[in-house]
Amino acid sequence: MIGVVGHFDHYDRFLQAIRKFRESGYDNLRVASPVPHHEIDEALERRESPVRAFTLAFAILGTIAGLFLTINTAVSYPLITGGKPIVSMPPFLVIVFEMTIMVGAIGTLLGLLVNARVPRVLIGPAYHPRFSEDQFGLFVFCTPDQIESVSSIFREAGAVEVRHVEG
Amino acid sequence: MAGYRLTYANVNRDILRTMEPPGKLWYILLAISIAFVALGGFAFATQVRYGMGVWGLTHPVMWAIDITNFVFWIGIAHSGTLISAILFLFRVRWRAPIYRTAEAVTVFALFTAALFPIIHLGRPWYFYWLLPYQQVGGLWINFRSPLVWDVFAVLTYMMVSIIFFFTGLVPDLAVVRDQAKGWRRRLYAFLAQGWQGTDRQWRHYTAAYLFLAALATPLVVSVHSVVSWDFAVSILPGWHSTIFAPYFVAGAIHSGLAMVIALLIPIRRIFRLDPYVTQTHLENLAKLIILTGLIVGYSYAVEFFIAWYSANTFEQGAFLYRVVGDYAWGSWIMIIFNAVVPLLFFVKKIRTSTPWLLGISLLINVGMWFERFIIIVTSLAHAYDPYTWGLYKPTWVDLSITAGSFAWFGMWFLLFAKFLPIVSIVEVKEQLPPPTKAEMTAGAPE
Amino acid sequence: MEVNRRDFLKVLGIGGAATLTSCSAQPPEKLIPYLIPVEEIIPGKATWYATVCRECPAGCGMLVRTLEGRAVKVEGNPDHPVNRGRLCARGQASLQGLYNPDRIRQPLLKDASGSFKSVSWEEAEAWLAGRLAELRQRGKGSGIAWLTPHTTGTLDQLIDRWLQALGSKRRLRYEPFAYEPIKSANRLAFGLEAIPTYDLESSEVIIAFGSDFLETWISPVMYAREFAAMRTYEHGRMGRLIFIGPRLSLTAANADQWVSVPPGTEGVVALGMVRVIVTEGLSKAVPKGKVDSIKSVVNRYTPQFVSKATGVEPEQLERLARRFAQANPGLALGGGTAVSGQEATSTLVAVNLLNYVTGNVGETVLFGPLSTLSRLSTYREMVALIAAMQRGQVSSLFFSEVNPAFTLPKAAGFEQALEKVPLVVSCSSFMDETTAKANLVLPTHTPLESWGDHEPWEGMHGLMQPAMQPVFQTRSLGDLLLSLAKRLGDAPAAVFKEENFYEFLRARWRELHQRVRPDVEFEAFWVEALRRGGEFKELPARRVRLNVGALPQALKGLELPGQAGSLILLPYPSINHFDGRGANKSWLQELPDPMTQLTWDSWLEVHPEDAKRLAIGEGDLVVVKSSHGEIKLPAHLYPGLKRGVVAVPIGQGHTAYGRYADPHHPNALDTRVKERGANPLTLLAPEPDSRSGGLLWLSARVTLTKTGTKYLLASVSGSDRQHNRGIAQVIPLEEITRGGQEAGHPTKKDHPVRQMYPPHEHPIYRWGMVIDLNSCIGCSACVVACYAENNVPVVGKEEVARGREASWIRIERFAEGPPDRPETRFLPMLCQHCDAAPCEPVCPVYATVHNSEGLNIQVYNRCVGTRYCSNNCPYMVRRFNWFTYEWPEPLHLQLNPDVTVREKGVMEKCTFCLQRITDGKARAKEEGRPVRDGEIVPACAQACPTRAIVFGDLKDPESEVSRLSRSPRRYRIFEQLNTQPAITYLKKIVPGPKEI
Repeated sequence: MIGVVGHFDHYDRFLQAIRKFRESGYDNLRVASPVPHHEIDEALERRESPVRAFTLAFAILGTIAGLFLTINTAVSYPLITGGKPIVSMPPFLVIVFEMTIMVGAIGTLLGLLVNARVPRVLIGPAYHPRFSEDQFGLFVFCTPDQIESVSSIFREAGAVEVRHVEG
Repeated sequence: MAGYRLTYANVNRDILRTMEPPGKLWYILLAISIAFVALGGFAFATQVRYGMGVWGLTHPVMWAIDITNFVFWIGIAHSGTLISAILFLFRVRWRAPIYRTAEAVTVFALFTAALFPIIHLGRPWYFYWLLPYQQVGGLWINFRSPLVWDVFAVLTYMMVSIIFFFTGLVPDLAVVRDQAKGWRRRLYAFLAQGWQGTDRQWRHYTAAYLFLAALATPLVVSVHSVVSWDFAVSILPGWHSTIFAPYFVAGAIHSGLAMVIALLIPIRRIFRLDPYVTQTHLENLAKLIILTGLIVGYSYAVEFFIAWYSANTFEQGAFLYRVVGDYAWGSWIMIIFNAVVPLLFFVKKIRTSTPWLLGISLLINVGMWFERFIIIVTSLAHAYDPYTWGLYKPTWVDLSITAGSFAWFGMWFLLFAKFLPIVSIVEVKEQLPPPTKAEMTAGAPE
Repeated sequence: MEVNRRDFLKVLGIGGAATLTSCSAQPPEKLIPYLIPVEEIIPGKATWYATVCRECPAGCGMLVRTLEGRAVKVEGNPDHPVNRGRLCARGQASLQGLYNPDRIRQPLLKDASGSFKSVSWEEAEAWLAGRLAELRQRGKGSGIAWLTPHTTGTLDQLIDRWLQALGSKRRLRYEPFAYEPIKSANRLAFGLEAIPTYDLESSEVIIAFGSDFLETWISPVMYAREFAAMRTYEHGRMGRLIFIGPRLSLTAANADQWVSVPPGTEGVVALGMVRVIVTEGLSKAVPKGKVDSIKSVVNRYTPQFVSKATGVEPEQLERLARRFAQANPGLALGGGTAVSGQEATSTLVAVNLLNYVTGNVGETVLFGPLSTLSRLSTYREMVALIAAMQRGQVSSLFFSEVNPAFTLPKAAGFEQALEKVPLVVSCSSFMDETTAKANLVLPTHTPLESWGDHEPWEGMHGLMQPAMQPVFQTRSLGDLLLSLAKRLGDAPAAVFKEENFYEFLRARWRELHQRVRPDVEFEAFWVEALRRGGEFKELPARRVRLNVGALPQALKGLELPGQAGSLILLPYPSINHFDGRGANKSWLQELPDPMTQLTWDSWLEVHPEDAKRLAIGEGDLVVVKSSHGEIKLPAHLYPGLKRGVVAVPIGQGHTAYGRYADPHHPNALDTRVKERGANPLTLLAPEPDSRSGGLLWLSARVTLTKTGTKYLLASVSGSDRQHNRGIAQVIPLEEITRGGQEAGHPTKKDHPVRQMYPPHEHPIYRWGMVIDLNSCIGCSACVVACYAENNVPVVGKEEVARGREASWIRIERFAEGPPDRPETRFLPMLCQHCDAAPCEPVCPVYATVHNSEGLNIQVYNRCVGTRYCSNNCPYMVRRFNWFTYEWPEPLHLQLNPDVTVREKGVMEKCTFCLQRITDGKARAKEEGRPVRDGEIVPACAQACPTRAIVFGDLKDPESEVSRLSRSPRRYRIFEQLNTQPAITYLKKIVPGPKEI
């Protein structure tokens, strides 16, 4: 994988750069920024994150698990306490609720890890510490022959630094 | 430091500065907390060796400050999730600089609270019998027992808050990583889990964070409700009351907010974070406290009203005993500190003056501790059968373990203050207008 | 000494185990178990032995339950006429005498340095024989004195003959409570110096002049049973008890009316009543002539005079007199420490007169069979002995199981006199204040290890047999005396043919056999006696005539005893410790005094008004000073006193009576508590009563001074009042006569409550209990029985003060009504085994659940100790193991092997004696039948002298418990909570003031 990274001090310039690259047909872009911004997603036209699905699925799973746990254990070893029925739903629902939340939260975390590809061990050469500080980074994948033109677009767009990255 | 200009760069600088190698004060405080934790540990060892009898507990008061501490710390734990999750859902902007501290309070308060269900057992070495797994002869735990609900509620709450806390931390850890050298770099590189702030990571991150917040919000309400049911589902006059769930939740948030203020004020001073944690933030917290204080006050009133209105000898006996009995002094501390004192925040001068804020929030914490003490002890001391009435007097063990629990919380918090960014770098930046070519007008976040 | 089970198994077969140590084993068949023959004994299966309880002179029949050769429980012997299967707290605790950790374990000889050193039996006997021989050579044999407690039957004869053999007649039967005034009064009135037997059961109205017959007076268990029977409500009739005396004792608290009068004025009241009766012509079975002479004697005791002297309203006096005269029959009792001043004899003559004019003599007061207590030595004789000792006329003093150094007034100078006696030999089981002064201690068996017999009244021969092998190297007194006689050469030896006491006993019983049942063969007679616990024969009553002539003389001294300013001290025998002999038993120490609810202590009862005057508060340590000495005691404000009287329980303040009695003992239970009560006898005057020769218990006038220090009183009561919570309920007599509850307001039970959940099934049995508050007298026998049966730990004073006593059943004492006229209510409280038990659902680990027989069961090994169950129990009957409690060796041998010993950190509570239920069901199963009603009896119900507690199957509509639970007096505690308890209480019946 080869490409060019442009560092931007300024957010507006950076957004313009993204748009320009897309106009000039470069769709394979990657962005690194100190803060999230939906303009970036809009500019890159990303679709909605699928994490929500994870949350829902696991929450439902939690509910079912909760019901199974409480009812099944009570029935399989019936003991009368306080003259209450073996399957007493009101108290069981408390457990069910907690299970729903817990499993749902675990699912959400899972969804995040899976989709965001974290945790990862290696940090790519394209990354630069200033991206976590005050600079916006734009990485354009391209073929060796395109490097020149890409770099020039970066300069026009006002990148304070343009790096050529390989591997 | 009015007019101090916040930019992405100096946000990084200012907040990372809080993580510089600690000074003498920090070490002294840490040493003190560890000493008290050790004392508490010794007291617990004594209890294990000789039996629960070394506590001041007795018949009929079989729960006292062991459970008081449990409920108190669970309560403290509520502010965090409230501020981070609920205010997040409501998109409250002033949340950004304070939520990290609040969440830390939550997590460490839970660490503390979770000790007491184990400590208070007569045979603590069997605490795992309370966990849901198949035990001898296929017996499971009794899901009808409020104590089991506790186990689930607390464990869930602990897990969710830790996930929430850590998720929020990751991007900041990346920042630290990028600025750190040597072993610290390696440490934070590991903690940051290879975060790069790419568009993909951010996209799923924001989504996940939103849903976690959405899950945490009902949870925070449920947890203290469940804790309150430890008492509400019993048949003891003074415990058996339907108002308990909302009453306890409000009380929990009440104490939680107070605790956050009490911690933010020194932090703000020590780490010179005034531009981030401004007077406005504290004032907003103070306003919330007015609200919770009013709810708590109302609950007190209702309890007494119902006791009178029920025309039930036992109820009336219990509540009369609270205000005129052996522990009346505690009841008055509880009523005045929790319901009356907070009303001072109606006065702008008071809620904007740091000393007043600090003082009152400390009083509220004292008051809330006594609220739990009074509810638990007075109700047990004067239960149904007058012949069994008795008093509870703490011994050195009760007190040492209580002191130990506060120290334990302090210890974690001190470590947090030095090893993690106490203000969320990313979210503060989010509140700033991003640097643009046509800028030079950026100011402090409102 | 570690006594292991196998040793026991080995010797179990050897019946006369007790005699084993006297080197003459008995063949197995000599010891006859109550229920099954020896050869059928199976480990784990209980064997019962019938014997006699010797904790007090009453001599109740006792059955000892032994397992693997060790006694684990004692119960009343149903065949025994005295107690009919019941037993008091002290009797239940006799096991702790047997296994007392502070028992003397082998002979002790005092050396030159004045400290004891253990010696072998051989040495001890040789030494003693030597000294005795020497004495006899020097012609001092006549100077040998023998001091025993109330001893009857064979041992009594043996001692007398032994003394005679050595040429002495100095023999005293010493009891601190010897009832001298009763004897002298009977001599004066009826010319018979004796103690009659009383028939409480058939009496309709009992008037007790100071006699605490439900606690310690003569034969409490028998009287409690008879009292409960006479006070039962049947066909519209119910007996009454009126108590006249200065202090609200347990007996007074159970009376329908307590008339509090200044001490010493009871006689005036009695004569006042006599006067009303004779003047109104209400007297019964009295010849006209006698009536007139009686009139003249009592003429001056007009209601007004009486009222002036005693504060009893004239109307009240008249009402009482008329009521008593109508009673058919009535019974007036008198005596006890409350009636023991100079005027005591006159008082009791007055009581006799009252019984006479109402025709009770021969009806309920029976001169024959006479109580053997009549044979007790008087206090005057003790004083004489002390004088003789002082003069050096006593060459040697032998004593056994008496403790005069503690039970005599200090001023009597017994201890000093003892110094003058060259040879003092103690044959006691325990170290005590007197034994500590002996030169030689020959430890004897406790009654549970000995052969013997006891005769509480004429014709009542209780037979004692050892229930187990001796715990320590002790010997039975009988064997000891016999072998000593052998060593003393021909003359004494010749007196006794028998090898050992067992033979001696059988020889005496051969004579009895000849007298009573010559028709049957002796062995059969003997075996039968062993089985039944004795030979019981009814004797006809003797007729007695009133000696009218003597009356004026006999009644003198009833003028009010002058008591200017200073307070009158009323020492009273403690229901727990009697004269102090119970104080070395931890159960009795931990058992709350029924009236004051205090434990592990003695105290000074002060009337709140007097206390206010003297600025004394509850728990203030005060110096009580009389002209004869002073003691320090904590004040306890007690409204149940006549003003101007202070009362102190007898029995505490020991200095050498083992770890439980003596707070300074190295092994004492409490580490911090250093003072526990004091001995009121320090304050009493030594002079005997000139007329009766008795001890003047009321002689002391005391002054109180505060020390300024507060004293820790370990009370178990959280509140004396029930704050209108309807715990111990009563029903007015007229309401019950009108048809009870139906007439009054109905309880929830009458119109069914709608339940949220369907009731759960009880397939075969459903265990339940009924407790009749009209019968419960609060004696607390059930509490000690429960301690014994269920291995309930004793926690000590400090822990009790904290509220950590571990008793599974407690007697709650509530005082209703005005403080000076308290209406006392007793309520046995134990696990209610609720159908909808609040304790169960809150347990996270199912450590307490409901079983198919309606029991609320506690699973010790499952309990983690969250203690939520206790918090959620409205009855607060659950007990927590704050520590791992210990049973000092050899007390652990008493532990019931059928019941788990609990460890620290677990909750426990009453199980309805689950082990007995299981046992009963097993027996029924073997015989292929359902459990019979009344077959299973929990320890508390078994012990109850008044049968207030009934246990059984609620599913069987015909069972006694079902029948009673339908009574119109039924109610269940905190019914409104819908916990549906398995225990039904029956309201106490209270006659209105006009109905007394």
